[in-house]
Amino acid sequence: MNLWFQPVQVATGSPDQESQLVFHDGFLVAVLVRLSSFHEVGTGKWFLEVGFGRVADPNPPLFSDLEDAKIWIRQQLGEGH
Amino acid sequence: MQDSLDAGGETPDSRTNPLIRKLESLAQLSGEDKAVLERISANPQIVATGTDLIRVGDKPDGVYLIMDGMACRYTLRANGTRQIMAYLIPGDYCDLDVALLERMDHSISTLSTCSVVRIDLNTIQELLRQHPAITHALRLATLVDEATLREWVVNLGRRSAEERIAHLMCELLLRLRAVGRATNDSYALPVTQEDLADTTGLTTVHVSRMLASLRQRNLIELSGRRLKILDLAGLEALAEFKSDYLHLGGRKAA
Repeated sequence: MNLWFQPVQVATGSPDQESQLVFHDGFLVAVLVRLSSFHEVGTGKWFLEVGFGRVADPNPPLFSDLEDAKIWIRQQLGEGH
Repeated sequence: MQDSLDAGGETPDSRTNPLIRKLESLAQLSGEDKAVLERISANPQIVATGTDLIRVGDKPDGVYLIMDGMACRYTLRANGTRQIMAYLIPGDYCDLDVALLERMDHSISTLSTCSVVRIDLNTIQELLRQHPAITHALRLATLVDEATLREWVVNLGRRSAEERIAHLMCELLLRLRAVGRATNDSYALPVTQEDLADTTGLTTVHVSRMLASLRQRNLIELSGRRLKILDLAGLEALAEFKSDYLHLGGRKAA
């Protein structure tokens, strides 16, 4: 299973900028954004800004690191480990 | 005669009683009507934050009237996510005709510490039979609740994240003002970001961003659990807020 990240900056209209594009088999499946310090909770965690196809979720969890995000995205794609 | 009756019902309590204030904004009430409303809303109980007043599946055992604080109607999905469908503020109550239902199809819970009165279903029936002006006001209030729900559907389906929150803030200001619970353009907003997220169909991350954005544009100020609207015209313009659906001050001069 081929899942990889590409660092980008996303214009979220907030101080949350540090981001990662997530690709699966060459397709963009998600955009993750790292929460900056202005949030009351979750600072430093990764947020599913948008997920495509089976990775879309209106109530996604926050991920403590990218490895954590990877596991969840794999599950969404039906390739849980 | 009417004047003296009205004067008789105009006690200090009836001027601060949110139920009376709310219904009076919808229909003309006599002194006797107000005295009855005061009686049925007396002796509220203090209920802690996050308490279910009635749960989905329960057989309704009365009408719950909020005298202070904020409560909500909500439903839970199997995965635990919650959608809030209405805020109950002072003077609001769960459905009048709830007795016609065998089981509740949603739950009602407190969002803050609340003062709550449970009104017996028999008392409600008697009220409806004997006080046509109150009945009229209660029916109008039901229409306003339905109109508000329609506006919330528009919010969820057709407004941006920032517009949703701005719209909710404008609505709450007018509703709280009508029951004497707002000072100028400021009011207690005893809800968490999670509550706001579950109300507006957003994630807490988006709510947090939108609140920051509204602050940055100098539209609002949030300190603790108090909201101050700094630029009401600006906030209303952003949300395309039109208060018609609340039918406030709609009562014809008698």
